[in-house]
Amino acid sequence: MNDKKHIDRLFQERFKDFEATPSDTVWQNIESELTKKKKKRRIIPIWWQYAGVAAMLALLFTIGGSYFYNSDKNPTINVVDTEREQTRSSNIKTAIETNKDNNTKVVSNDGESSKIIRKSDASKLINLKSGTASNKKTNINNNFKNSNNHVAASVGKYKTTTNSEIVTSNVNKTVQNNESLIALEHAKKEIIDASKEKTTGTKIEEKNKNNVSIEEAVENAKRNASKKNGKNKWRISPNAAPVYFSSLGEGSSIDPQFNNNSKTGEVNMSYGIHASYAVNHKLKVRSGINKVNLGYSTNDVAVYHTVGASSSTRVLENVIAVASDAPDNLSIISSESINVKPEAFTTTNSSINQAFAYIEIPLEIQYAIVNNKFGINLIGGFSSFFLSDNKIYSEAETGTRTFLGEASNINNVSYSANLGLGLNYQVSKKIDLNIEPMFKYQINTFNNTSGDFSPYFIGVYTGFAIKF
Amino acid sequence: MGLEQLIENCKINDTKAQSELYKLFSSKLFSVCLKYSRNYAEAEDNLQDAFLTIFKKIDQYKNKGSFEGWLKRVAINTVLQQYRNEKVFDIINDTQIEDEEIEVDEDTISIDYLLQLIQQLPDRYRLVFNLYVLDDYSHKEIADMLNINIGTSKSNLARARQILKQTIETDKTKQRLQSL
Repeated sequence: MNDKKHIDRLFQERFKDFEATPSDTVWQNIESELTKKKKKRRIIPIWWQYAGVAAMLALLFTIGGSYFYNSDKNPTINVVDTEREQTRSSNIKTAIETNKDNNTKVVSNDGESSKIIRKSDASKLINLKSGTASNKKTNINNNFKNSNNHVAASVGKYKTTTNSEIVTSNVNKTVQNNESLIALEHAKKEIIDASKEKTTGTKIEEKNKNNVSIEEAVENAKRNASKKNGKNKWRISPNAAPVYFSSLGEGSSIDPQFNNNSKTGEVNMSYGIHASYAVNHKLKVRSGINKVNLGYSTNDVAVYHTVGASSSTRVLENVIAVASDAPDNLSIISSESINVKPEAFTTTNSSINQAFAYIEIPLEIQYAIVNNKFGINLIGGFSSFFLSDNKIYSEAETGTRTFLGEASNINNVSYSANLGLGLNYQVSKKIDLNIEPMFKYQINTFNNTSGDFSPYFIGVYTGFAIKF
Repeated sequence: MGLEQLIENCKINDTKAQSELYKLFSSKLFSVCLKYSRNYAEAEDNLQDAFLTIFKKIDQYKNKGSFEGWLKRVAINTVLQQYRNEKVFDIINDTQIEDEEIEVDEDTISIDYLLQLIQQLPDRYRLVFNLYVLDDYSHKEIADMLNINIGTSKSNLARARQILKQTIETDKTKQRLQSL
């Protein structure tokens, strides 16, 4: 009974192999937390994928659109040309056929027909018209005459189509064609070769259609060309901006104990290049790439500057010492750690400086409110940020900076909602000057912040745009 | 599956591997949480947080040193972090007391009873006692972890021992009186 033991040994022995099974709810909670995180992670990439697809489509449309406009002109004309060729050859064919026909049937009329052909050859449309008129009047059930008219008409038409720049002649021709059609119909009643005439009639109709489409194509092409010359759809604009980082709510990205400390945003630089495409004269879609440096300081911090970097960093929730990529260093014990004297840190007033940098890829829409020599635009969109730098320093009053480590809670990919005003001044036809105050509200920047820490940054982007 | 493979799978957030890892180490780490926490419920909360931290930071474990040691340190850190948030460490350093040899009777003392004693200790005393006596940290290390000085750590430990001894003894006398 009097087996007295030092109390330490009593506890040590008893707790040596102490194990206890926690209740099942613990794992259930962990599991739900883990799946929650996974879901969160999944949602954002999908959004990003969609955005990527949208950006790609926009790019394809714009590049493809301009390409098609260019190539549009040639193919339509080509098609028309071949059709014309076809109709031409078929007309000639029918002409020959009918001539043959006539030759065999009515020899005496031969001279007259050739006269008419000659007339139409000279493309004297009025003559031709009167020819048709006389044809109508006389209408001596002469299929030969009718077909001659038709031939003449088609030849005349062929001629005018080759001179397709004269719109009026086309109109004339249409009238004339209609007339010859009427003539043909008259003839149809009495001609034995009714079916043959019919086919040539439809051919003429087709031809009329073709003529219209040629006109339209030419006009469209002209319109497009004039449009194109008037506006530069693409713009490339290098830009640079001072950016000011801050947070909307009270909170800390470093450790909960700093929630109420005052924080000072830093002014840093962002620079990059944008490309924009004018969808119409009001709306532009733009994207690009920017390098952004951000940072802020947590003030009124005592403790850290007297402590050896490796040990002090472990005190902070969201900071990992860079040296601690070895697992043993994650432990709080460190052989090189310096013992902290409370007097040493209560007297000093230092701050913690958090600095991070991103590669930013924005996707924004720019709407022109005023679009003259001086332009005002509304800009909205979002950006994706890819973390490129991440450091935390302690900064003593004296200005000495000590590298503490990296923040463990900054996401490698984050986003922002962007809103801004774009002012531009047209220096020349090719160059605009821009100044764009932008507000970017950051989303998903930190995965573990304390308090209400909602980071944002403001930047005034200045640069110039080269139009082409 | 070997432990190394299991760790690798946990690094890529494989749910099965995470569950396996939990099964392997939860009782060990729960004992740590029980010792450092005020009560059972808090210990469970801490165990949950500890595992979430472990899964989050497992890629920082580079197969150097004992994995169990690493897990234990994460668990201890989790508990300490919680107390840091609660500003437990802001207690004024007590006046230093002499460390004396404290011996106790050890006959029918159960582990549950000892655990209860530890949990009932004031937060700082409990942490120092656990770190020093049960987890072999030095006073220097403890001072560093808790942001106190070495003298305070030593004095806290002595106080913890005193309280434990007193409680054990008074409980004993109570028992004896009851059995009479």
